Amino acid sequence: MTFVHQNGVKALDGVSLTIEKHELVGIVGENGAGKTTLVRHINGLLRPTSGSVLIDGADARGTSVAKLSRKIGIAFQNPDHQLFSESVEHEITFALKNFGFDDALIEQRLNWALDFFGLKEYHKSSPLILSGGEKKRLTLASILAWDPEVVVLDEPTVGQDAIQKAKLLEIARTLHSAGKTIIIVSHDVEFLWSLQPRLVVMKRGRVVEDGPCAVVMQERELLEDARVSQPQLVALYESLSRRPASPFQDVSQALSWVSGERR
Amino acid sequence: MYWLASGLLYRRVVSPFTKLDPRIKLLIAIEFFVLSLLASSVIGVAIIIASIVAVAAFARSLRRVGRTVAFSLIFATFIFVLNLWIGLGLLRSLTFALRFIAIIGSTSIFFITTSPDELEQIMKWMRIPRDVVFAFVTAVRFIPVVMLDAFQIMDAQKSRGLELEKGGLLSRVRNLIPVLIPLVVNSVIRSGELAEAMESRGYGSTPKPTSLYGMRLRWYDKAVLVLSLAVFVLALYIYHFYTFPF
Amino acid sequence: MASKGPEVPLLSVEGLSFSYLDSPRAALTDVNLKINRGEIVILAGQSGCGKSTLLRCVNGLIPHMYPGDYKGRIVVDGDVVAETPMGKLAQMVGFLFQNPENQIFMFSVERDIAFGLENQGLPRQEMRRRVDEVMGLLHIEPLALRPPHELSDGQKQRVALAGIIAMRPNLVILDEPTSLLDPKTASELVSLVSKLNKELGITFVIVEHRLELLTPIADRIVVMDKGRVVMEGTPTEVLTNPASSTHGLAIPPVFSLYSELAERGSRLPRAPLTPEEMAQELNAP
Ligand SMILES: Nc1ncnc2c1ncn2[C@@H]1O[C@H](COP(=O)(O)OP(=O)(O)OP(=O)(O)O)[C@@H](O)[C@H]1O
Ligand SMILES: Nc1ncnc2c1ncn2[C@@H]1O[C@H](COP(=O)(O)OP(=O)(O)OP(=O)(O)O)[C@@H](O)[C@H]1O
Ligand SMILES: [Mg+2]
Ligand SMILES: [Mg+2]
Repeated sequence: MTFVHQNGVKALDGVSLTIEKHELVGIVGENGAGKTTLVRHINGLLRPTSGSVLIDGADARGTSVAKLSRKIGIAFQNPDHQLFSESVEHEITFALKNFGFDDALIEQRLNWALDFFGLKEYHKSSPLILSGGEKKRLTLASILAWDPEVVVLDEPTVGQDAIQKAKLLEIARTLHSAGKTIIIVSHDVEFLWSLQPRLVVMKRGRVVEDGPCAVVMQERELLEDARVSQPQLVALYESLSRRPASPFQDVSQALSWVSGERR
Repeated sequence: MYWLASGLLYRRVVSPFTKLDPRIKLLIAIEFFVLSLLASSVIGVAIIIASIVAVAAFARSLRRVGRTVAFSLIFATFIFVLNLWIGLGLLRSLTFALRFIAIIGSTSIFFITTSPDELEQIMKWMRIPRDVVFAFVTAVRFIPVVMLDAFQIMDAQKSRGLELEKGGLLSRVRNLIPVLIPLVVNSVIRSGELAEAMESRGYGSTPKPTSLYGMRLRWYDKAVLVLSLAVFVLALYIYHFYTFPF
Repeated sequence: MASKGPEVPLLSVEGLSFSYLDSPRAALTDVNLKINRGEIVILAGQSGCGKSTLLRCVNGLIPHMYPGDYKGRIVVDGDVVAETPMGKLAQMVGFLFQNPENQIFMFSVERDIAFGLENQGLPRQEMRRRVDEVMGLLHIEPLALRPPHELSDGQKQRVALAGIIAMRPNLVILDEPTSLLDPKTASELVSLVSKLNKELGITFVIVEHRLELLTPIADRIVVMDKGRVVMEGTPTEVLTNPASSTHGLAIPPVFSLYSELAERGSRLPRAPLTPEEMAQELNAP
């Protein structure tokens, strides 16, 4: 698949990528690598200049954005690009109404979303008074409310503090174990490392690597070239003279190995 | 749609024409403009258009000027048909239509070859107050950025099932609300951030700010100045004393 | 600049409280803080704890631009901020913001770098000299004539920083300057900060959530919570203190590993700042 912007920028250059149901995929790469452009192809906001996008085996060409979005929910980076309603409640139900859900179902999904994202206390307030972290959660809530099969998050951690990031991490894990397909675009390698997704590395409109996070994050030269840095635990692992077979997934793994060594 | 925003972006081209002092470029554009207004024959206008094309080529901006002119062709055709319809005759209708193209060409050649920086200098030279000039500069700088915002907002809302083209006129207008509100909110946020950044860099701290660039007429500019005035006067002379066959 | 002894802090915040106009809650409550010349200080804390507000107070946007209830005082290089005009403060304190787009006004990089100098009314030759010098220092000479829309986010951020450095401030404050940048571009900006600190002696105060980016170059971390300064110390002191995570700090793995080890009675002889340093300690027999 190739995509050329109208200004002649070739933002995607021969990308081939298959994502299975229930997968958890992370996409990394330098600024301008084409990550957001790729994401916008998944629900048909952009159509490939050449090549094709297949959803569930069917060519997406003839299907409208609205129809594709029913299946694929995308949360873009900037919450201020989508929040417009007078209340949090209305913000969440907006899409459900667009998709023609009946009132009973809307009520049920609304309650689930307010609960799941911890927004109950704000349900009547204006989205504009929320903090950055809460706005982020509201955009996620407004998308997960219609229960899309695929959830795409573009830069979910920008400007988020540790507490919000931990919440996002938990949300992503919960959704994944509930059987959703999840695609996360992020520059935050520590966040991705905690998630351990299948990792796709992009550079200048191409996919240059694709594999398990633990493997890809060890390919130092390739990452360097794609302007991605290694998570701290991987860098530590690689600098150790004696080390286990695979890098530490979290601090407690590192801890038990190191304390074992030092005894 | 993005090309609409990108069309507003100034693209730096280096050529003998773009290097001219902006005041000279303005003068040449005005001369073309006046000549187009005065021209009353098909051949006269054709000659002007040909000269504009020559200058555009000299300025290495043929394609961009061509694009605007192509765009104006729609209107020119409209003018032509309208004039024919009210019974002005083939030649006069054609003159009017071509004149419109010439006018568009002469203005676009100025705006395409003059950077916003140079526009700013001209405005200062005309003693327009600094705040007005700066407001103009920020508008030119940020209109494409705000348009990009608009596209991103539309994308976000379309991804939430909003169908902008659906329904009758009333519901279409209603459909715009989820786009317009974030657009306004974002513009307010952006202008707040801009104001902070301006203040932090001491905007308005002296009544007499200086400028990194200045306008100075070099011999090259002066030569072009004299030449263009000479051609202009000659053209006026021809207009006055010579009638083209059609 | 050097006339005042090193014992006089460059920045001192004394009993500062502030609430925005029409806001029921105080954004800052009794903040006391001293920052010495030549330091690099990270300002950390949960979202909404008042970091940006404090930075605005330091360069005078508060109270000059934002009205509100202001108590206490801030002294920068001997001048009381609330009583010093914005134009003068702009020369002493540079401010780099999060969004690279909204800090570039002009249509060429060099012109934008000169923006602050033009506002000061410097003569043209002096501006030319300073602009060229800064572009050399930040390695952006090839971009000199480019319009902003042809720059990447990382380049824009670099240009914005150049525009600030050209004004020769003693103190530069940065509010989440890397959050839109890819990891390498972000660490390049961090190296640039370190270089400017070493070569020009510029003092930096930086707000950043991804602490692992800055801990290798920072002298000190100041932690805020609900408008107050609650912790202060070297990166190691703060990040190995169990209280720090309750204030919403993302402890980089190297620091949590170090303090966990210490808790289990095997303290490393030297507290590491980077994974490589930690590996060195662990590799030592
Ligand atoms: N609407 C657009 N029109 C024209 N060019 C665009 C548009 N959006 C992006 N581009 C260009 O396409 C390329 C890829 O951009 P994209 O936004 O997909 O990158 P990205 O990987 O998401 O980067 P980042 O990490 O900075 O978000 C860039 O060169 C960018 O300048
Ligand atoms: N312009 C403003 N007007 C009114 N209240 C404001 C304004 N800016 C911030 N506040 C409030 O002041 C408090 C502190 O906000 P501030 O922006 O300083 O937090 P922060 O620590 O920078 O957070 P973040 O990490 O999310 O940027 C918050 O409660 C916020 O809602
Ligand atoms: Mg992107
Ligand atoms: Mg802030």
